[in-house]
Amino acid sequence: MLTLLGKVCDMISARGVHKSFGSATVLDGIDLDVSVGEVVSILGSSGSGKSTLIRCMNGLERLDGGRITIDDFDVSNPKQLAEARKRSATVFQLFNLYPHMTAVENITLAPIQVLKIPRAQAEAEARALLDSVGLGARSDAYPAQLSGGQRQRVGICRALAMKPRYLLLDEITSALDPEMTAEVLNILAQLARTGTTMVFVTHEVEFARTISSRIVFLDKGRLVVDLPTNDFFASGGGMANPRIAQFLAKMRKD
Amino acid sequence: MMRYTSFTSYDFILLAQGLGVSLALFAVTTLIGLLIGTTWAIVRFYRVPVLTPLITFFAELLKNSPVLVQLFLVFFGLPALAKINVTPVEAAVITLSGNTAAFIYVIAVSAIESIGRDQIESARVFGLTRWQVLRHVVAPQAMAFAVGPLTGLLVNQLQVTSLISVIGVVDLTKIGNILNLRTLKPFIVWTIVGGLYYVTAKLIALGGARLEKRLRAHTAWKGL
Repeated sequence: MLTLLGKVCDMISARGVHKSFGSATVLDGIDLDVSVGEVVSILGSSGSGKSTLIRCMNGLERLDGGRITIDDFDVSNPKQLAEARKRSATVFQLFNLYPHMTAVENITLAPIQVLKIPRAQAEAEARALLDSVGLGARSDAYPAQLSGGQRQRVGICRALAMKPRYLLLDEITSALDPEMTAEVLNILAQLARTGTTMVFVTHEVEFARTISSRIVFLDKGRLVVDLPTNDFFASGGGMANPRIAQFLAKMRKD
Repeated sequence: MMRYTSFTSYDFILLAQGLGVSLALFAVTTLIGLLIGTTWAIVRFYRVPVLTPLITFFAELLKNSPVLVQLFLVFFGLPALAKINVTPVEAAVITLSGNTAAFIYVIAVSAIESIGRDQIESARVFGLTRWQVLRHVVAPQAMAFAVGPLTGLLVNQLQVTSLISVIGVVDLTKIGNILNLRTLKPFIVWTIVGGLYYVTAKLIALGGARLEKRLRAHTAWKGL
């Protein structure tokens, strides 16, 4: 029974999430569960609320209604938010690396300050992470000395260094050219294979198809469809929805 | 033949002493000003209610009135109003510290505000406290941003110290005044005094430029 209860908690759970900026409603009653081990991609056109949903999950935006919990820790509760944030880690669209710190320093800041890991150990782990994404030789470079793709790989390492249960990825390839996008997506594919739980907000439809267990489609702040990946792309599944068919057709054209 | 109006080697000691007083006052008031100004800026960073608008108002007052008027207010006004006796040096320290603090506050606030929201968010999201964000992410970047304006301010505040000679502090300018009255050679005296201020200011600017270069090392492009 206890293990069963334990299992119930192992998820990000959003219930009736509302968010508006001024008079514009951005999220209009979102229900979504992401369990440990899943890779859930969130698709939708610009302005559909995808990024805002991620920003609500990590507590960067205050909810106007509803509730989001990470392993039962409520992100709207300031005390529980700290615990929720320890369990999730975010990778940003524009990397948001700290420009005055080297790659290693970027990665070790939070593990040292928040998780209280000894510096030597944190640094060794950071170097190992950088090695695993092919940046071992650039460990002591500053962000300004790295290319976009390299910066984003550091961004991913920075998130992984927190050993999060959930990786929140907010359009992490939108600012990259196709070649650099490929660099970053390769790493995600690798992470998906090793069973990392991911919430993946993206425009990379084809890639989402290859790594996701589920696809969620948002339109105008509402969750239109939440289906296993195969069903989503099947003609009778998500494609039956004209809004989704239109979106996918447009994405494939680009 | 030695005359009353000729320069003596003792005059150089006088000049050195005056310069020493000016520098000491400058150093002390800069330190106090830095301490107070950055504390005010931190209060503002935490958006402490009541205190923040109060500080902003007070800094505005100090920033927008002549230092000489502030100096008179402290030196003559304080004893008259509160029956507190202040020596010329005390009045000089209080006035210059307050004035420097007000300008450092303005520089620190704009430096902190120059750091993008994204920087604060990306640190907060990993669970860093507001203080940890300030110390590890905001402050180092704000410092690199502030060194330039700060150097300019300090060069100016060094010149401002010369105002304290009017209430009797024997600083470099006061020594200049004394030598001028005795030797009756204003052109030579004031050229030397001006030259000493110039060299000191130049050293401050040089130090600032060096510090800035070091703090901004990370933005230098060293190639891929």
